Amino acid sequence: MGKLGDFLQLAGQSIAHRKLRSWLTVIGVFIGITAVVALISIGLGLDQTIKDQVSKVFGVDTFMILSEDAFGAQSRGGDMNEFALDLDYLKTLDGVKTAAAIREETAFVRGPADESGTYQQGFLPVMGLSPELTSEFTSFIGELEVQPGGRLFEPGEQNVAVLGHDIAERLGVSVGGQILIGGATDSELTVSVVGILSQAEAQPERRVGFGASIGPSPDEIYVPFETMTELWGSADDVFFALVRTKEGADVDEVAARVEEALKARGSKITTVTYSDISEAIGTMTSTVSAFLAGIAGISLLVGGVGVMNTMFTSVLERTKEIGVMKAVGAKNSHVMSIFLIESGLMGLVGGIVGTVLGLGLSALASSFIGRFFGVDMVMVISPLVILYTLAGSFALGAVAGLWPARRAAKLPVVDALRYE
Amino acid sequence: MALLELRGVTKDYELGKTVVRALRGLDLEVRKGEIVAIMGPSGSGKSTLMHILGALDTPTGGEATIDGQDLQRLKERQLVTLRGKRVGFVFQTFNLIQTLSAQRNVELPMIFQGTPKRARHRRARDLLEKVGLGDRVRHKPNELSGGERQRVAIARALANDPEIILADEPTGNLDTETGEPILALLRELSRRDGKTVILVTHDPDAAAIADRIVRLRDGCVSAEGRAVSEEVGTSSLGDDPERRREGGAAGAASPGDGPEGGAAENKEGSDG
Repeated sequence: MGKLGDFLQLAGQSIAHRKLRSWLTVIGVFIGITAVVALISIGLGLDQTIKDQVSKVFGVDTFMILSEDAFGAQSRGGDMNEFALDLDYLKTLDGVKTAAAIREETAFVRGPADESGTYQQGFLPVMGLSPELTSEFTSFIGELEVQPGGRLFEPGEQNVAVLGHDIAERLGVSVGGQILIGGATDSELTVSVVGILSQAEAQPERRVGFGASIGPSPDEIYVPFETMTELWGSADDVFFALVRTKEGADVDEVAARVEEALKARGSKITTVTYSDISEAIGTMTSTVSAFLAGIAGISLLVGGVGVMNTMFTSVLERTKEIGVMKAVGAKNSHVMSIFLIESGLMGLVGGIVGTVLGLGLSALASSFIGRFFGVDMVMVISPLVILYTLAGSFALGAVAGLWPARRAAKLPVVDALRYE
Repeated sequence: MALLELRGVTKDYELGKTVVRALRGLDLEVRKGEIVAIMGPSGSGKSTLMHILGALDTPTGGEATIDGQDLQRLKERQLVTLRGKRVGFVFQTFNLIQTLSAQRNVELPMIFQGTPKRARHRRARDLLEKVGLGDRVRHKPNELSGGERQRVAIARALANDPEIILADEPTGNLDTETGEPILALLRELSRRDGKTVILVTHDPDAAAIADRIVRLRDGCVSAEGRAVSEEVGTSSLGDDPERRREGGAAGAASPGDGPEGGAAENKEGSDG
C-alpha cells in the first residue's frame, strides 16, 4: 500500500491546517489518556511495590504454614488459629531445607527473688521460637537485638530465655538471672535469661501484615522451641511455621507436597507461598486499578465523542473537497481511509501527549505516595502499557472517525461538488 | 469514431416529491480531439450533461458511452477508474484543495491512481511548467491569483493524461484578460496534444475557441453547429474569427507567455 503514506500526509496536512480545532480535539483525548495511563501506572507501581516488600520479607524460596482456617470465617482480627505440627517430621520432608515454627502459651512465670525476698510473678505469654527464626528467617521477625551483655539463644541450646524489655523489668530479672516457667500439668522449668531485647529495637517500624504479630515484642518471653516441647509436650499450639526449600526446588510443588504430608498426619494446616500472596495482591491491585481506569475511561469516551464531532464538522466543511477528490479519481475507500487516518492521527497524538503526561503524573503521585507511607514506591513504566495506549488511542480516534468517514465516503460526487 | 456518444439520454432528479427532468432524450457525439462548447441558459441541463460526460453520474435512461464503455453497465468502482484515468475536470471555482501546494494538487489524481512518487513529482512539475507556473509549485492556492489557480486546475486535469478535458465555465470566475490565456491553453491541449475538450459555458468568447457549439434548452440539444458559422451575425461576436486566431496564437506562444500573464494576474489579484 504505497498510498497509505500519501494518505497519511494528506490527513496530516489537513489536521495541521486546522490547528486550533485539532488541538482542542487532541486535548479532549489526552486528558482521558493521561488519567488512564497515570492510574494504570500507579496501580502497577503499587502492585510492584507491595510485591517487592513481600518478597523482601518472604524470599521466593520460602513458604508459610498457617492454620487451615487462617483465612476462614473463624479467623478474627489478629488472633491466629493454632494447629498441631511435628516440626522434626517437617524438616525431613523432601525439598525442605530448613523449617521454623512459633508456638505460644500463656504460662505462670516467676521472676527471681529480690533483696526483700519477694517474687514477681504472673501469667505471661511465652513464645517458643525455632532458633532458625533468628538465624535463617530474620526478615520475618525482624532483627532481634539484645541489650549489651546479652545474646540470643543458639541452635541446640535448652532452658534459656530471651525476655522482652518490659517483661524483664517487671520480673526484676537481668541477664544471667533465672526465671521459673510453669508448663502443662505440674511440669516446670527454671530457665536462664541469656538476653533482654533492646527497647529501641522493640519499638521501631511496625511491620505490616503478618510480620506484625510475630515481630519483637517487649511483652513476651522467648524460649527455644525445644524448651517449649519440654514444658508443654509436642506442639499443638503452633500458629505459624516457615519452610525454606532446597535450592532449585519448585516452591509451590514442595508446598503442595508438604501440605499433603502434614494433613495426612492430622495437622489442620494450609500452605501459603510467595506466588499465592503475590497472586492475591495482584488480583486486588489490578481490580482496584481496573476499576479506577474504567472510571477514567469515561473521559476517554468523551474524548472520542469530541473526535467524532470534529470529524463530522470536518466532513461537512470539506464536502466540496471530497467531491473534488472523487472527481479526480478517489475511490470511496480512499476517501474513507483519508478521514480515518485523520481522526486516528488525532487520537494518536492525544495518546502520545497523554502517555507522556500520564507517566509524569504517575511519577509525581508515586513519589508523593512513597513519601506519605515511607516506602520506596516503584515507578513502573511498562512498554506494553505504552504500546497498548498508543494503539488504543489511534483506534479510539479511528473508531470515532468511522461514522464521519463513512459519511464522507458515501457522499455522491455530484452533490458534493455542488455543495457550497 | 466518436469518443463520447449519448443516445436518447434522460436524467431525472428527485427534489423532495417532485421529479425534475434535467435531460430529456439528449443525443450527442464528440469525436476525439474536438473542442465542443456546450451552451445554454441556466437549468437547460448543462451541468447534468457535464456530469454524465465526466462519468460522475449515470443517466436514468438512454445510452451513454465513453470510448465504447456503457456508463450504465459500469459499477461505481469502474466509474471512478474511468473518470480518474480518462477524464480531467476543470471547474469554474477551480476547486483546488486549499491545504495543498500547487504541486500536491496536481499530484492528487496520480496519488489515487497509485503513480510512484518520483514519477508523480516529475510529472506534476512538468505540467505546472507547461501551464506556465514553473515558479509557483510550492504556492498554496490562496497565494495564487485566479488565473494561476485555474492553470493549476488545468495541470491537475492533465495529471493522469486523460483523453477528455471537461471544463465547466473555466473562465466564469475570471476577467477577460486572465480568462483568455486559459482558453488559449485549452485550445492548445486540443490542437497540440490531441485532447478532446468539452467546454460548458455561458461565455460566447469562451465558446469561440470551440470547433463546434452545442446549444441546450430544456434538457435537449436545441441547436448544433460549427462555432464560427453559428455565431456569425451576432453583433457581439462580430470579431469572433479574429479572436479565435488570436487565441490560437496566444496558445501556441503560451510557454513563454505564461509567466508574464501570471505576473499580471497576480497584481490584479482577481478573486477565486
